Amino acid sequence: MKKILALTIFASLFGTGLFAQNQVPPVEITPDRKHAIDSLALEKVRDLSKYISIIGDKTTPWSDAQRVIERACELFMDGAEMGVSSVNHPEQITNYKVREYFDRLMQLNYSKVVIDWYKIQYVSDLERQPDGTFVGVITVYQKFQGYDKEKGLVYEDTTKKDITIYVKRKETQIGGRLIGFWDVMLGDIRVKETSKK
Amino acid sequence: MTKSMNKLKTIRWSSVIVMIAIIAMGLGTESCKSTGKMSKKERKAQIEAAKKQLQPIINGTSTLSLADQEKEVNDIINKKLNDPTVNDLIIQAQQAIKKAYANNEKLHAQKVDAAKAALLDMLLNNEGKSAAELQQQLDVIKAQNLGDAEVNDLIYKVQNKIDGMRNKPSLAVKTQLENAFQGIADAAKAGNPTEADNLIKNTLQYFTAPDAPVLIIIYRQGNTVDYDKPTTIQRYLNFCKDQKKSANAVDAIQQDASGKIKELDLIKK
Repeated sequence: MKKILALTIFASLFGTGLFAQNQVPPVEITPDRKHAIDSLALEKVRDLSKYISIIGDKTTPWSDAQRVIERACELFMDGAEMGVSSVNHPEQITNYKVREYFDRLMQLNYSKVVIDWYKIQYVSDLERQPDGTFVGVITVYQKFQGYDKEKGLVYEDTTKKDITIYVKRKETQIGGRLIGFWDVMLGDIRVKETSKK
Repeated sequence: MTKSMNKLKTIRWSSVIVMIAIIAMGLGTESCKSTGKMSKKERKAQIEAAKKQLQPIINGTSTLSLADQEKEVNDIINKKLNDPTVNDLIIQAQQAIKKAYANNEKLHAQKVDAAKAALLDMLLNNEGKSAAELQQQLDVIKAQNLGDAEVNDLIYKVQNKIDGMRNKPSLAVKTQLENAFQGIADAAKAGNPTEADNLIKNTLQYFTAPDAPVLIIIYRQGNTVDYDKPTTIQRYLNFCKDQKKSANAVDAIQQDASGKIKELDLIKK
């Protein structure tokens, strides 16, 4: 009985949003406002693409790479996964937890790695869900090039990936001000296609 | 014995009572007259006291306010001591008070002039003082309570200016910050991370702490303001370095008393 009561209190605390960075009831969204949210989410994916490029870059100092991995992980929801494929076995897709993916990316056995994301666009617009969260899908094309010190370019592929985006309205107190912000969280990144170039 | 008893019986007692009452009233008025009149000794004492009261007023060493000094002189006049020395001192004291009033007015006028000049300078702010510095200066003028309409009007205008400065960053600081953001991005883009790191280190000195909050406005229409997830200045500067871009302009700066930035609002360019 006590356990049930404790759980009820805990659930009601979350439900009434007494904790910091509360979720707030849905707000009115004008087309301009929606456009700003769409742009923000797209911008987060572009930020991720730069982070991936830095992590993969062999010239990035280890401390910088670690800091960037932290920032990159913060873009994702807990438990989010990244799909990885190879042009040699396109049907074989492995999904890693994002932190593991970044760690592996940093340690790839190439002398030089170039990763470029392009054609970053919505394939499924952000739509408001009954709980107020906006959910959409952004697709990206990733060009990966792995170089060997002596042989030069030894591996390259192009992968089309879909990223699920979640955007939640939250509030927090900063310097006595109540700040309403949009928290963009990236979900799983799934491989859709892999090609040689 | 019986004779004397008979004599007593013949006395008209009502007449005796009336006479006693008249005598008593007479005695009563006489006693009042004696308290209203000042004895020579008392008068001498009051003259001496008046001289003692008037002297510091004449010398300008009285600790009383001018209004109280004026009251004290009037009280002495009302006593009608009719003493030539006291009368002379009264005149001297009245002149001293008048002179002190004139001096005060002159001083007040000088203070008003100085305050007006200072307030006009503050409005122009040619020295580029921060909001905190101007507020400190304004509070000193406010504390003087000069009660001058023109000064009060200027105080109001300067306060408005300071409030405005608090909400809008001074051009100098705004430009410095935006240049720093761009400099960090440019250094990173040019493949010079050390220079970017040095710029980050220098820019952090403008702030109260590396974790000073940074808010980025993504949408503003009327009272509706939407922000990106709050970050800190250290993270934001590293973000400029990592992303090799400075995509936001400074919208508002909040500084502490020492002029260091404790909160920064940015807005998408």
